[in-house]
Amino acid sequence: MANKGVDGGRGRRPGVVNKQRGNSSQRFYMVLALVIVVGAIFIVRAARAPRAIANVTTVPVTAAQAEGYLMGNPNAPVQILEFADFECPACGNFAVITEPDVRNRIVNTGLASYRFFDFPLPMHKNTMAASNAAACAADQGKFWEMHDELFRNQPEWNGESDNKDNPKKVFLGYVKALGMNTDTWEKCFDSQAHQSRILANQAEGVRRNVQSTPTFVIGKRQIPGAMSYDAFKAYVDSAAKEAPVAAKPDSAAPAPAAKSTTKGATK
Amino acid sequence: MSRRQTLALLAVVGVCIALYLTLYKIGVIGVLSCSIGSCETVNTSRWSMLLGLPIAAWGLAAYVALLLLAMVGSGEAHESSIPIARMIVALSAWSVLFSAFLTYQELFVIRAICIWCVSSALLWVVIFALSVADLRAVSRAE
Repeated sequence: MANKGVDGGRGRRPGVVNKQRGNSSQRFYMVLALVIVVGAIFIVRAARAPRAIANVTTVPVTAAQAEGYLMGNPNAPVQILEFADFECPACGNFAVITEPDVRNRIVNTGLASYRFFDFPLPMHKNTMAASNAAACAADQGKFWEMHDELFRNQPEWNGESDNKDNPKKVFLGYVKALGMNTDTWEKCFDSQAHQSRILANQAEGVRRNVQSTPTFVIGKRQIPGAMSYDAFKAYVDSAAKEAPVAAKPDSAAPAPAAKSTTKGATK
Repeated sequence: MSRRQTLALLAVVGVCIALYLTLYKIGVIGVLSCSIGSCETVNTSRWSMLLGLPIAAWGLAAYVALLLLAMVGSGEAHESSIPIARMIVALSAWSVLFSAFLTYQELFVIRAICIWCVSSALLWVVIFALSVADLRAVSRAE
């Protein structure tokens, strides 16, 4: 900056000025490198940190079949499983940004089937309610529509929203908008008719050692974390190559959750 | 260390914050470290996206632009450049205003505070003050 002129004005020799400039630049680059290294370490550690772990307890629940919610042809060459929490922002981002492409280009083309498993995490206050809302929508053939509404509008009903103490009010709005029978849905939701199914789905995730949401099982591979469509497609293509093995019945399908011993964010 | 070098350092700090929030938004980072406030609420609110991109990605672009300007402006050939000083003032002034708007949204609309977003807003205030001092200094030297 104006240092050169000022130094010159003080009668310092050019060599002295250049040396000072050199020292100053050296110091600057050292501090810059230090800030970059510290920032990079922080970000890499954050990206590698385990996300959230399901709260495993010994509370017994009624045994139920871990079926998930199927989309597409169950006999497709590749089977995709997703373990997700309706209140998890990363799951929401994946559902809103990437999943439409996955449905259009992978599931609808018959390349793979897609199965959603509830994996409610204990720190999310309303996730179990959301899983119940979606399960009750499934009774009326609207699981995926409800799934999309829940993920798209997380800030309206999640545990930090204005409706955190009454998410049902928000869910009812989606039920009406999707043209479902509200009385039937409400009866199902209030009685938590599908709680055991949800817990069975969660137990399947625990059995598979799911550590974070979302986690995907594509063919034989289990991949934690949301990913771009291209990365997702690469996994599907890779699984399709192994299809003779991967497509065998139940190779990626879940096992029954006999005597599940897990509890998520129960109310 | 010159003022522009200091601006470059602050820009790198800002790049780290914005990159952290952007990676969270696109799902690479699962949980935000958030000891104060409610980062998750803010970063999943409607104000977490702008024109189809995470708001943090716009911040990242602004910090990268500042870093480039400050680095070029730190070089011997441009250390007294008034246009560069003006561009830095303009960028930081816009960023201060936009950050103020977002902080208002956090406080009065979303009703949740994200400590990383507030840190970024404060960082822009410091950057703006420094950039004005820089502009005044180079204008005087002219």
